[in-house]
Amino acid sequence: MSMAEERHPTEDLPAYTLGALDEAERIAVAAHLETCDRCAHDLAQFEDALYEAAAVGAVRADPPRDLRTGIVLRHRARVARSTEWGTRAREWLARPVPLAVPLALAVLLVLSFVAVGTARREADTYARALAGVADGRVVALGPQKNAPADARGALVIPRSGDAYLVLELSSPPNGKAWEAWVIKGQRPVAAGLSGSGGLFTIVLSAPLGAGDVVAITLEPAVGSSAPTSDPVLAGGT
Amino acid sequence: MLVERIAAGNAEALGDLYDRYGRVAFGMLYRMLPGPEAAEEVTQDAFHAVWRRADSYRPERGRVRTWLLAICRNAAIDWRRTRGKRGEREVSFDAAPELLADAKVDEQVVDALRAERVRKAVAELPAEQRDVLSLAFWGGYSQSEIAARTNTPLGTVKSRVRLGMTKLRERLVDER
Repeated sequence: MSMAEERHPTEDLPAYTLGALDEAERIAVAAHLETCDRCAHDLAQFEDALYEAAAVGAVRADPPRDLRTGIVLRHRARVARSTEWGTRAREWLARPVPLAVPLALAVLLVLSFVAVGTARREADTYARALAGVADGRVVALGPQKNAPADARGALVIPRSGDAYLVLELSSPPNGKAWEAWVIKGQRPVAAGLSGSGGLFTIVLSAPLGAGDVVAITLEPAVGSSAPTSDPVLAGGT
Repeated sequence: MLVERIAAGNAEALGDLYDRYGRVAFGMLYRMLPGPEAAEEVTQDAFHAVWRRADSYRPERGRVRTWLLAICRNAAIDWRRTRGKRGEREVSFDAAPELLADAKVDEQVVDALRAERVRKAVAELPAEQRDVLSLAFWGGYSQSEIAARTNTPLGTVKSRVRLGMTKLRERLVDER
């Protein structure tokens, strides 16, 4: 059947634009649009008008300040990964990280230490670690006034399971450890401890709620009941 | 071009896209979803979808902002579907007329003069047409669902959708 003879779904295009067709109707229109430039052009005009109205109707709200950072970090990480590893490694790494996300992340990090040269390792393991986040929200933690040079961190909030931190920090001094805190209002709750340096993770042992702040401080190796130093990294949920 | 740079794997270009349209995307999702946390999560999902699909963008088939916002809206609908609910901010039929007519114009996103024209175009739609467009767009309801929930014949709902969208198109696309 030629295009001229074919029936154009002119009457259904407005509802298609709105996503308001029933499934069978939607499939039929979508199939037609694949081959009909005229209807595709009409659709583009309906969409332009609709989303222009939607833009005006959007709520006036500031996105979280670290949303942009989280988006860019996550995808910069993917680039670093794909340029360093061959196709097979990329495919392997792109698999969704299963239930024990932090554990899988640790394995990934060990592999990366073995496989990648030192310079590149130092430059990219943090980014690659975030690239392993297959299903969750990434919130960057900001370095605070007394943060060690090159200190970086991100809070990962998976859709299921515990939230955890991906941190890149220098080794703590003897007798000290990095301690994570979930700050609810003004009240800090101890949420995990690590004596590690370099790239490591801390699974948050305290529940995390909307509006909570997560911070990292240097504490005695056994941990503290309340922070005894200023935070080196912090970020809000 | 921005989307071509994203398709080439340039994460900074994704940041540039966010700088340009992230605020309106977040604002739209904030309106569609139960709260800011959900809007943030779905914004991340949508930009990830942009990253994966950038090479499928066709400039001749629409503007970048339209393409991005459509991806955002689909991501929001997916989010609602997977959570098994439309969200606590479910669009009520009583509130529907306010959703477009009482638009909170974001002057930082939309040129003020242009925004006024858009708002006027929406406000001039007959209320029954504006209502069905609001319910379909913000609420994610199909024509059949709108007909069932408002006890209106399906043919009438379809007619209102068609007329309302056609007027929006005439008033907002032709005047450029």
